[in-house]
Amino acid sequence: MTPEQLSERIALARTKDHLIDLIGITKEFDGTPVLRGIDLYIRKKEFVTLLGPSGCGKTTTLRIIGGFETATEGALLFEGQDIAALPPYKRRVNTVFQKYALFPHLNVYDNIAFGLKLKKLPKKVIDEKVEQMLELVNLKGYARRHVEALSGGQQQRVAIARSLVNEPEVLLLDEPLGALDLKLRKEMQLELKNMQQRLGITFIYVTHDQEEALTMSDTIVVMKDGTIQQIGDPKSIYDEPANAFVADFIGESNILRGTMVQDELVRFAGANFPCVDFGFGENAPVDVVIRPEDIMLVGEDVGQIVGTIKSVLFKGVHYEMMIDAGEYTFKVHSTTMQPQGSKVGLNIVPFNIHIMKPMEEVASNEI
Amino acid sequence: MRSDMSLPWWAWAAMGVGLVAFAAMVGVTIRRNRGIHRSLFASPYTLWMIIFTVVPVILIGYYAFTDANGAFTLDNFKNFWDSNFNANKSILAAGEAVGQDYSAYITRGTVNVDTLVYSLWMAFLCTVICLLLGYPAALIMADRKMKLGPTLVVLFIIPMWMNFLLRTIAWMSLLEDSGLINTFLKWLGFEGVQLMYNSEAVLLGMVYNFLPFMVFPIYTALSKMDFRLSEAAADLGCNSWQTLYKVTMPLSIPGIVSGITMVFMPSVTTFFIPRVLGGGNTMMFGDLIEAKFLTEGNWNVGSALSLIMMLLILVSLSILRKADPNGEGGGIA
Amino acid sequence: MMKWLKKCYLALVLIFLYVPIIVLIVQSFNAGKSRAKWEGFSLRWYIELFQDERTLQALFVTLSIAVLAMIVSTVLGTLAAIGIHAMKKRPQALMMTLTNLPNTMPDIVTGISLMLLFIFTKVERGYVTMLLAHITFDTPYVILSVLPKLKQMNRHTYEAALDLGATPMYALFHVIIPQCKQGIITGAMLAFTLSLDDFTISYFTTSPLVQNLSTLIYSSARKGIDPSLNALSALMFVALLVLLLIVNRRTAEDK
Repeated sequence: MTPEQLSERIALARTKDHLIDLIGITKEFDGTPVLRGIDLYIRKKEFVTLLGPSGCGKTTTLRIIGGFETATEGALLFEGQDIAALPPYKRRVNTVFQKYALFPHLNVYDNIAFGLKLKKLPKKVIDEKVEQMLELVNLKGYARRHVEALSGGQQQRVAIARSLVNEPEVLLLDEPLGALDLKLRKEMQLELKNMQQRLGITFIYVTHDQEEALTMSDTIVVMKDGTIQQIGDPKSIYDEPANAFVADFIGESNILRGTMVQDELVRFAGANFPCVDFGFGENAPVDVVIRPEDIMLVGEDVGQIVGTIKSVLFKGVHYEMMIDAGEYTFKVHSTTMQPQGSKVGLNIVPFNIHIMKPMEEVASNEI
Repeated sequence: MRSDMSLPWWAWAAMGVGLVAFAAMVGVTIRRNRGIHRSLFASPYTLWMIIFTVVPVILIGYYAFTDANGAFTLDNFKNFWDSNFNANKSILAAGEAVGQDYSAYITRGTVNVDTLVYSLWMAFLCTVICLLLGYPAALIMADRKMKLGPTLVVLFIIPMWMNFLLRTIAWMSLLEDSGLINTFLKWLGFEGVQLMYNSEAVLLGMVYNFLPFMVFPIYTALSKMDFRLSEAAADLGCNSWQTLYKVTMPLSIPGIVSGITMVFMPSVTTFFIPRVLGGGNTMMFGDLIEAKFLTEGNWNVGSALSLIMMLLILVSLSILRKADPNGEGGGIA
Repeated sequence: MMKWLKKCYLALVLIFLYVPIIVLIVQSFNAGKSRAKWEGFSLRWYIELFQDERTLQALFVTLSIAVLAMIVSTVLGTLAAIGIHAMKKRPQALMMTLTNLPNTMPDIVTGISLMLLFIFTKVERGYVTMLLAHITFDTPYVILSVLPKLKQMNRHTYEAALDLGATPMYALFHVIIPQCKQGIITGAMLAFTLSLDDFTISYFTTSPLVQNLSTLIYSSARKGIDPSLNALSALMFVALLVLLLIVNRRTAEDK
């Protein structure tokens, strides 16, 4: 991007009602690119999740917003102001760190009061605010405890309280629930979402857990190798993944190589399927994505294709079956079980077949 | 001592360039980070170390490779090989003046090389004895069944608080002809023995002084070891000697390496102990270097000897590092 | 049987280590000046100690240099450790080589090289040069005891402090330094004892006019040690022992 283009884009961004703008952000560590041009805006009171596998640049993006890293190129705007040169302690942004980063030499009270003391607030006000925060995170009566004597979940709450007490415009959370066990993680997800709605603060949340992202977010930003793959609300990302990577990363899917016979007709697994996509050209190679729950099992004679059940696993709510059909093994979720080895028909409604331009490397579930 | 102590102009220029480069580096770091970066906290120390460690070492190097007039020469190293080098040179020159070859009349002075070999041998013996004495002691203390272990380790450190010169001198009162041991022997009706003023006494003094430096790292390595490993070995059929030989010993190698380093290094350069317990009959390399500088005032040869010493230690350290590539052996710190 | 053997072995090794110290302490109570002959119990040398100007002077030099070197090297070393910790890989490796250099250099070479430096720069050797030398060999040890604590520290705590509004300086003093307090104390104690016990480097960096206990003992070793020096070291030894016991008691209570 030339400087002129950049300033043009900055000027444009300023006309919008955005809280944070990342414009053409790139970042290199010792010559290795980590971010390759990130364009993203975040509105007030939005819950935005940066989602992606490890090494995709999501944490680096967060650290640039927090002020712990400087972008190699591009602009970072906060309410239209360029804040790239502002040190972390002058930004109206607070961070909840991956492993909490509580101060081990201070107790719960002093950890939470850390920021308030720096603002030189009177002791009475600090006491009040800390008390309110402890109530908010359900840790009443823990003020004098030593942080290292707390459980992981409690430390997590202290870390959140320590940030929120400063009343930031934006709270950055870097995999905050990563170290907790499953049950606690689910509880905290709900609590965090509630907190965000009640306090009306913008949350930028980093995670590699797609389920977490789907549950909590207003907007999900899927990243891979330092680029943004898709931005959208959870439903659109799940239902209309932009490419095979997003499809595979968000939820389980069958990703197959197919050919677009003509508009609204795709061929894969040895049969033609009507679909709703068009504009790929005739006989163009494409990637086909089908969610396991979108495949309906029917009688052998009425299926669009026929397959043999290779394995059946009980997954609690549904059965997961691997079905050989054509040259593919489909993963199918169904509430009714079919015995292993039996032949079944597979039907897919046009609406549930997602066609994408092929990626070089398709992460698929072919075994 | 030399009266002329000025450095050539290029040495001053080099120091100036060094300082400017250092200031520039600090400046660049400040500019690049738009403010104070934490790495700058190391700059006072860096400056200190340049002045008080790097420059002095360079000075030694400068002297080792120059003669009394400051001209480049390798004579100082030849002097190490042949301690009669200067005398021989003048004998040969005198011969040349009268047109005769006097090379039959000169002999190589071996005292420097001999002293070095003797020092290395003594340091080697001291290290081996310390290891043989110290390893079992460390092993016993690191045993989990030995509840007093940690306290006993402190007992190994406490003697080091007594000034080491005085402790060494105290051995004199035990070993000398009219000392406690001989008095005791005579009281029993035996003949008195000459215990002092020989290599054995010096070795005793060295072992005495350096033994804790061997025990400590080995103890640290052993007590950090997972005791379940030896239980596992026993479970797999090792008897206690096999467990020691096949599991415990290999795992304590970092501690052993660190102990060897900490004993061998100071042993080679010991000076003072030979003087007190060896009574001047034995001289070690440290004494030789000191004598070159303070008694003979021959800084050039003294520097060459120091350089050889440093080189030797660096070589032996790099060999030891190979045995403990991660540097896991815990030191005193 | 085995257990008994083990205990016997340890006891023998410890006796080997303590015999000279016991001899030394006994001698300090000997009425006579002879090293071997016991001439009756007396506090004579303890009394003489406090009248001997030279010994007291040396004691003062030893203690004051140990304290000053400890303070300066702890500050210098702690800052350096923080700096080195924050460095990138290559400068960090360079700094660690520089830090390990004095440890790998034999004391005698360190002493002589510093002597050369002082002679060259025409700085008269004495109290100040000895102090400078002590700071030089103490500081790397402080760094080596502080660095592991820094490495153990969650590196995000520093960022968390900045995030909560602390300036880098405030974060340094209120977050980083408190977290490596233990390493700093260890380093300071190490520096103090190393400086207290040093002979070789002091020997080369001071003049005969300014002596610490080690160089004083050395210079009088030939003509026989004044028993009051024995008395002094016995006193210092006991003082250190008492200090250790107090520290131990304290830490035991803290737990």
